[in-house]
Amino acid sequence: MGKHVFENRKVASHLFMLPSFLFFCFSIGIPFVMGVNIAFTDWNGISPSYNYVGIKNFLSCFRDALLVQPIKNSLEFAVLGTIGSNVASLALALLANQKAKTLKSIARMVYFIPVCFSSILTAFIWGFIYKDVFSELFGIRSLLGNNATVIPAITVMGIWNTCGINMMIYLSALQGVPRDLYEAARIDGANRWQRFRSVTIPFLSSAFSVCCTLSLTSWLREFAMTLSATGGGPGGASRTISIYIFENIFQQNHAGYGQAVALLFTIFLAFLGNGVSSFFRRREVEL
Amino acid sequence: MNAAKYRFSVFDVFIILFTLFFILLFLFPVYIAVLTALKSPLELAQSILAFPKQVYWDNFREGLAKSNFLRSLLNSVLVTFPSVVGIVIVSSMGGYAICRYGKRYWDIGKMEKVFLASLMLPFQILMIPVYRMFRNLGMLNTRWGAILFEIGYSTAYATFLYIGFVKTVPKELEEAALLDGCNPYQSFFRVVFPLLAPINSTVAVLHIMWIWNDFNIALILLQKDSVRTLTVKQYYFFGEHSANYGMAFAASIICMIPILIVFAMMQKSLVEGITAGSVKS
Repeated sequence: MGKHVFENRKVASHLFMLPSFLFFCFSIGIPFVMGVNIAFTDWNGISPSYNYVGIKNFLSCFRDALLVQPIKNSLEFAVLGTIGSNVASLALALLANQKAKTLKSIARMVYFIPVCFSSILTAFIWGFIYKDVFSELFGIRSLLGNNATVIPAITVMGIWNTCGINMMIYLSALQGVPRDLYEAARIDGANRWQRFRSVTIPFLSSAFSVCCTLSLTSWLREFAMTLSATGGGPGGASRTISIYIFENIFQQNHAGYGQAVALLFTIFLAFLGNGVSSFFRRREVEL
Repeated sequence: MNAAKYRFSVFDVFIILFTLFFILLFLFPVYIAVLTALKSPLELAQSILAFPKQVYWDNFREGLAKSNFLRSLLNSVLVTFPSVVGIVIVSSMGGYAICRYGKRYWDIGKMEKVFLASLMLPFQILMIPVYRMFRNLGMLNTRWGAILFEIGYSTAYATFLYIGFVKTVPKELEEAALLDGCNPYQSFFRVVFPLLAPINSTVAVLHIMWIWNDFNIALILLQKDSVRTLTVKQYYFFGEHSANYGMAFAASIICMIPILIVFAMMQKSLVEGITAGSVKS
């Protein structure tokens, strides 16, 4: 069997990996290394020259009083968004998994439609609803203009926009639950809640770990929708870490400092994402 | 038995009512947008929720004319579809390699960890470096540059979806193909790839939506008006015409039509395909 070198399994498997590796390096790998490099400079983002300042940028992060509010805001987004989005999408998945056939397929389609909207359009439509429709319906001022309600209000539009994807993931997990297990539980005298708790939930565990990890890290990075809904306002009440980084890099000419914040933020997200996903993985049921 | 049956149907009615309630809730913003688009500015000023007495098509006419919609639509199509084809090809191969050989070769196994970590990356850290890299390479404001970037930016997540799915494809088929004299590439493209059809369509639909609606990347890579995609166009358009809601909504409703058609056509495969990838991985 005189095989050509390319038919060797080792060579073949690496050749299969190569395209995605190269594309990944082009879009993420190389820019990331360049970005880390900028974090150690005092570059303002425009001028051709810059100096290396060591870890000064990183030290400033810890002394930056302006960074406190964005961190709080991002955490608020993360908590509200992750809980809200997962509760909503699991509930929608349960509703879209019911017995009535026509209603079921309509529900699946309608709950997913908002995913087709861009975050910009979502922010625009909901901004209009909060400002004009709510004032006509309830006579209240825009929820986006109030420090206390701006983050929950943006979270609601975000959940509307994105929970269709999580719903699909939960839905497919629900469909993987064997029917006879429900029957067996019913014969054993389990009520509806007990069946849900002991039969359905264990089968959802891998969907939980995917959805919670993804929604937690994406809510922490909340950017485009908030930027176009409020621009971080009123008075910084909805400014997230991502918006703060963006402002430093592009508006205040602190590119080096912005990159340093971004790098620390990345490290935090990587640890958190890893932690959350292994937390759920450990609780996953082997199917 | 009768009692049990009775309780059951009450519960069912509740479920149906809830389902309907959420359907209305989810459609409410869409309804508001359509309603507003059909009304003249004067009628809108009088009442937002009232039905239009007469449909005001000028919103659509004016919106189309002012937004230069056709060009942006073309740009979105020309960026989205080639990117998605690239993502499917590149990531299916990568997902296959990681799933089948990740345990045997450490460097392939490591790629899975690297890809996973990259999903956490905030895009802001890449903005300046990507902008500079593209400017130096002369790829700024080119659609092919944006396509290459989208492929690389999306491949990590798509690869994950594939890893989960490839696990469910029986190894025996490839082994048989190899024994029959196929080389590894033929066995992948002729035997494995066709079996990946469900996940291919899921990856395709998800990324059509994401790239079509992408804001971050298009904002920095496609800045010139001649190459702007719809989302960025919307962002500027809303900024300029924030007072004229009717026209802005009319323009964006038209922009939504292509993506809604894609969604309607592929909705079924989307539901079936998401199953595989994310949950089983």
